[in-house]
Amino acid sequence: MSRRVLLHVGCPKTGTSYLQDVLFRNQKVLREHDILYPADRFDAHFLAALDLMTLPWGGLETEAVGAWDRLAEQVRDWHGTSIISHEIFARATPTQVARALESLGDAEVHLVLSVRDLVRQIPAEWQENVKHRSHITYAKFLRTIRDPARDSRIGSWFWAVQEIPDILDRWGASLPPSQVHLVTVPPSGADRGELWRRFSHAFGLEGLDLDLTAERENPSLGVPETSLLRTINQRVTSILAPPDYRPLVRELLAHQTLSRGVASARLGLAPDDHAWAQDLCRSWVEVMTSRGYDVSGSLDDLIGPDPGSFADPDVATADVLLPPALDAISALLVEGARLRAVEERLHEELREARDERDRARLTPSYRVKRKIVTSLEDSPAGRGTLDAYRRARGKK
Amino acid sequence: MTTTSPQSAGPGAVGRAHGWVAHLRDGGTTPWLAWTGEADPSTARPLPGAQQLELLRRLNLASGSSAQPRGDHGRDRTRLADRVLATPAAGRGKADLPLVGLPHHGFGAVPVDPATVGPHELLRVASVLLADDLVALGADPVTTTWAKPWRRRFRLVGDPVVTVALREHLAARGRPEGGPRPFVVAVGRPLDELLAHTWTQRCFETGATPWAEWLRFWRERDQLPDRADLVASVRRWRGHRPFVRVVTDLDRLPRQVGVRSVPAVRVPGADQAELARRIAAVVGLRVPAHERPGLMRTLQQRIPDSTVAPVVVPDRERDWVAASAARTVRGVTRAGYSVVGDLADLAPHAAASMASGPAGPDDQQVLDLAIRMVVDPGWRAGSARTTERQVER
Repeated sequence: MSRRVLLHVGCPKTGTSYLQDVLFRNQKVLREHDILYPADRFDAHFLAALDLMTLPWGGLETEAVGAWDRLAEQVRDWHGTSIISHEIFARATPTQVARALESLGDAEVHLVLSVRDLVRQIPAEWQENVKHRSHITYAKFLRTIRDPARDSRIGSWFWAVQEIPDILDRWGASLPPSQVHLVTVPPSGADRGELWRRFSHAFGLEGLDLDLTAERENPSLGVPETSLLRTINQRVTSILAPPDYRPLVRELLAHQTLSRGVASARLGLAPDDHAWAQDLCRSWVEVMTSRGYDVSGSLDDLIGPDPGSFADPDVATADVLLPPALDAISALLVEGARLRAVEERLHEELREARDERDRARLTPSYRVKRKIVTSLEDSPAGRGTLDAYRRARGKK
Repeated sequence: MTTTSPQSAGPGAVGRAHGWVAHLRDGGTTPWLAWTGEADPSTARPLPGAQQLELLRRLNLASGSSAQPRGDHGRDRTRLADRVLATPAAGRGKADLPLVGLPHHGFGAVPVDPATVGPHELLRVASVLLADDLVALGADPVTTTWAKPWRRRFRLVGDPVVTVALREHLAARGRPEGGPRPFVVAVGRPLDELLAHTWTQRCFETGATPWAEWLRFWRERDQLPDRADLVASVRRWRGHRPFVRVVTDLDRLPRQVGVRSVPAVRVPGADQAELARRIAAVVGLRVPAHERPGLMRTLQQRIPDSTVAPVVVPDRERDWVAASAARTVRGVTRAGYSVVGDLADLAPHAAASMASGPAGPDDQQVLDLAIRMVVDPGWRAGSARTTERQVER
């Protein structure tokens, strides 16, 4: 059987979490069809990406030691098709790309890049920044990414993972176009299964009986919810460490609470930004068309939707912020109550352990021994005697 | 050799870039914009970023090398050059930057003149190089010996720079920390210095956020970090009043741990701490978590001397520091702990606020130190040094 590696390197916000969740939960079925998705935890390939690219990530990197080499070894040892997937691979430098491809051995590498129009990607990336502790306003974010110098941390990261032709230049330079596969995200309002159909075509998963239930997604937020989260960040980012921020703000508030506001206005682009984003996408489509890559979907999807009404998240009023703010307070109170219950249970267990210990110490012989030890510990000679006794008894 | 300037992006520009890479690999120091030579690009690997290339040029400048390799020295230099060129820049900053003057497709990062790449960017590469050096070196062994039965039982808390060094020194002399009913010895000092030492020591352990950000975190919480909070530290070890000593006079510290004297403790400078902070983040990606403390301890012992002063608390944080120090004094007084020295010494140094210069580390100074460490591998040779260093009693 021919050895192939399907290397899915991005882009962020193109349904990658869903794809990776399906692949992770269906590893057994995939193996039965000679397809390997080597992951012992959901974020295994994320850790491999951190390792490959030397990216510290709020402390998570300590779990990434050697992750890329382990992943590459499993891929090299597999006889059939292997899949590697994480969106932050998109940021790899040419040197890192060369190292990655070299470490995959002699397998036939196919690059997969899932892509979406900038009209939807820009608001989504701002939201993602806000969900990662940033309190940059939407207007400033747009100014930052439109700055041709790309001198800021946000600007350089955004283009490194979203500029499709550049990602393809870095990852696909050594591959023939027939081994580069683009998966375009369908337009808003398309059938929910369409993106999966495109993924499964690119990955050769058509016809497999996979459990496609969406257990883990990266849901988007509405305008007031994102605005609220940004306001919260202004207060808490400097006083809440990343290990606390992740479960309390990102997971509890953003993903589990605020993302439920499905009726809220969705974030888009102002007319001027919209036109700029579409022009840029058109120039990209032109480049990609000329290169002759394999496309699942249509490159026309990359132009993006027509301009709609624009709700500016930077001017959200208190009235608009109040409902999600109350939802946030409720969620935090419920979480506080849950944590109090956990704390109470732990105290109870500690009390029981202490009671047990005290009962064991109630015997007269223990009391006499304790008194002798306490007296001896008060002088150097006594301490020496005790040490000698303990050594003799093999207690040290 | 041609006379074409790299500023013009023609078909030969890629050849010139590869020629410049070869020149730097050979120890050359010519800036990119002044470079006119060429090389065949057909067999070359991808061009490294401007950060790697400029760092290599600065390393060549620092080592005072000529463009001609000579014997083992030349081979070592080429090995080092290859490492530099293959080393990524750590963190989420800019990816590898292309050189100005090369053909540009209109996509990707904006090309730059490497000479204009700032020290912050160069440090991102240098810290990875040094972290890899440290990992290759391995942790120095910890010296321990039989515990003396008659030793005084103690538990050290407070100033981490002092307690970490002292704990290790005493363990090597048969006086390990702990044991039944120990005296809890809290090493205090002016709170501004205590905070600076706490951050500094943390840089040499697991790493930390930058100094200003770290201070802001605690100030906005109106809390003290664990090791700078003397009262909470004593309580954590369940120290009962007769068994607690708060030491503010460091000359009297040895008696509290049962010895006549202790060696002077070196307080790392701002540049050393900042470099360690950056290295610690990369070491965290290179070795399992339990190996990092030993490696960072080794770095702390071996890092070359520096004349740069330790970090100081900036003026904008001093009111909060003064209030926190007053709270600590009240806490110690109310708890009735014995004080060795004067509790007034816990107040921040008024004079420090007049200190000139920046409160935090300067990137250029940090880069200078990093370059010195890459060029001169002396810090990696032999066992940990015991030479005289910047000391503090």
